[in-house]
Amino acid sequence: MRFISVALAVAGKDLRSEWRGRELLPALAQFIILAVVIANFAFDLDLTTGPRLSPGILWLVLVFAGLVAFGRTFAAEREQASLEAMLLTPAGPTAVFAGKALAAAALLAVCELVLLPAMAVFLGSPLSPLVFATVLLATVGMAALGCLFAALAAQTRARELLLPVLAMPLWIPFVVVGGRAVQASMTGAPLNLQPLAVLLDFDVLFVVVASLAARFVLDE
Amino acid sequence: MPLAALAVAGLLIAGAMIFLYAPEDDLQGQVQRIFYIHVSSAVAAFICFGIVAGASLLHLWRGGLRADRLGRAAALVGLVFTVNTIVLGIIWAKPIWNWDPSQTWDARFTSTVVLGMVYAGYLMVRKFAPPGPQAMRLASVVGIIGFIDVPVVYFSVRWWRTLHPGTVLGAAGGPALPPAMLYTVFITLIAVLFFAAVLVAIRYRIEWERDEKAARAAAASLELAQSPGGPGERTSSLDWG
Amino acid sequence: MTPAVRAHGLVQRFGERIALGPLDLVLNSGERIAVLGGNGAGKTSLLRLLATAARPAAGRLELFGLDAARQRDRLRARLGYVGHQPGLHPALTVRETLELFATLHGMGKEGVGEQLEVVGLGRLAGQRVDRLSRGQQQRLALARAVLHDPELLVLDEPDASLDAEGRGLLGQLVRGRTLVMATHDRALARELCGRGLLLHGGRDAGDPWALRLMEA
Repeated sequence: MRFISVALAVAGKDLRSEWRGRELLPALAQFIILAVVIANFAFDLDLTTGPRLSPGILWLVLVFAGLVAFGRTFAAEREQASLEAMLLTPAGPTAVFAGKALAAAALLAVCELVLLPAMAVFLGSPLSPLVFATVLLATVGMAALGCLFAALAAQTRARELLLPVLAMPLWIPFVVVGGRAVQASMTGAPLNLQPLAVLLDFDVLFVVVASLAARFVLDE
Repeated sequence: MPLAALAVAGLLIAGAMIFLYAPEDDLQGQVQRIFYIHVSSAVAAFICFGIVAGASLLHLWRGGLRADRLGRAAALVGLVFTVNTIVLGIIWAKPIWNWDPSQTWDARFTSTVVLGMVYAGYLMVRKFAPPGPQAMRLASVVGIIGFIDVPVVYFSVRWWRTLHPGTVLGAAGGPALPPAMLYTVFITLIAVLFFAAVLVAIRYRIEWERDEKAARAAAASLELAQSPGGPGERTSSLDWG
Repeated sequence: MTPAVRAHGLVQRFGERIALGPLDLVLNSGERIAVLGGNGAGKTSLLRLLATAARPAAGRLELFGLDAARQRDRLRARLGYVGHQPGLHPALTVRETLELFATLHGMGKEGVGEQLEVVGLGRLAGQRVDRLSRGQQQRLALARAVLHDPELLVLDEPDASLDAEGRGLLGQLVRGRTLVMATHDRALARELCGRGLLLHGGRDAGDPWALRLMEA
């Protein structure tokens, strides 16, 4: 109970700060639109290649947007030494981490709400509820791992360098399974919920792993 | 070091068996001889990373320098064997797969590449984190999570597709390899694993000397700061952690 | 009675550099000590160890008789720390800052308004932290550190950018608590503390109170 109220308070703090500062989301939205525009010209998309290549574009953009979003959540706190102040309370590092990861996942979900319609409009990618569900499910596990490594990288000299090196290999399972699910959905294959179940398994696994590891990463 | 000499001798024997004893493969020709070293390297790399994960777990659980040092040593050696595995695999696969990406990125290749990345990350964390207990703790987290991730990558890609030549050893209905090849496989595997163990031991020694040097330098600076005849007593241990 | 702080052979080390120690220190409950010394003398290193914000490279540290390395969560409920930087979230308001920390401490939010009046920020409760002056931010950081009524207060140069009124407030906040305060201001040290610790090169260079008595 205590854990949940702390996590929600920390997440609320992050989202409120983002709402007031409006630093990350506008930049990310712009990044997403630009990436879609570049993809359009780089791949010379038309009606047949659009649906074929869209899933790849989606995951590439999502991975890079995620790196920016997660990297930011801990970098800012680090600069202001405000993370330490929160960790020096009896709330416990795991609860604080959970709150930060929750907020980062919410931010990435907002990015997805920009990305998917943008792809539908500019690239003609066929959208379905399955695509949304897949992407959101992948976001949970990716946020858990991404935030853990962002917290880790923030303590090093080369945080911008280290986060992609650490997070991207670990995200590959999400991209592999999520990629196939989106591909199937966009090319009009018969509905198959198995990838969603696999993604859910990954989420559970990595959320548990990240919460166990958070204490070692955050407790200095 | 007699062990190092023994390890080299083992590799020479394995090499002789690979090129002189083992028969040429009917299907793939001479290039198949890569297989012996490729598979042995892969096994050595995976064992090394198992050691890293174990040492990391031990370090987080009990603390201390020894487990961490073992992790450092095994990670570096494991990375060398991973790169070796990948390069040999690519050379072997070139005439067979002909660089078709839909064939190249199968479960084993992908997870081996990810393995290499994770442990390159492990070593980078060590390089960039503030030295001392913090670097050890952060790297240990990477070592453990990376180890969990690799099988997940393997199975997710296998679920996606698998076009690798199926498991050659111990397939249903007994070994598919002729006995001469099988002996070569086992001798090479033993030689490579022993070689890897010796490398880890040498690396462990180097890391140990480094730690000692740092501790000595710290102790020396302590001595310097100590006022003559001052009341300051020496601490029993200047080890990290 | 168990002392509030008991340190034995405490060492902090960064790479090959020894930042602090070995240092022995015993501080009884209710005692107030000023940590003095030049830049790089090890003041901040010592305070961070006492605040459980860092782990020692060697030695033993007990706070209230509990092992500082093992029982951190229990200790953190009983100590308050203001570091070199105030460590505030710039986009939150003054009130939200204290409410967040009340939640982190597992307390209700009722005490927040009263606390704001005590530190003289009641008027600014709705103001964003990044619009406050440096001195007001420092007051907020102090208010946050005593929000949970800690027994031990660890302050790293709290007088930085505080006005005369703010210093009076400082005297009020430390009352009834054990205090470890790093400062360059000898007058403030004399005013708030009953003893001192002079650090030089990370080591105990004597009690300045004693040194001063010798001079007199």
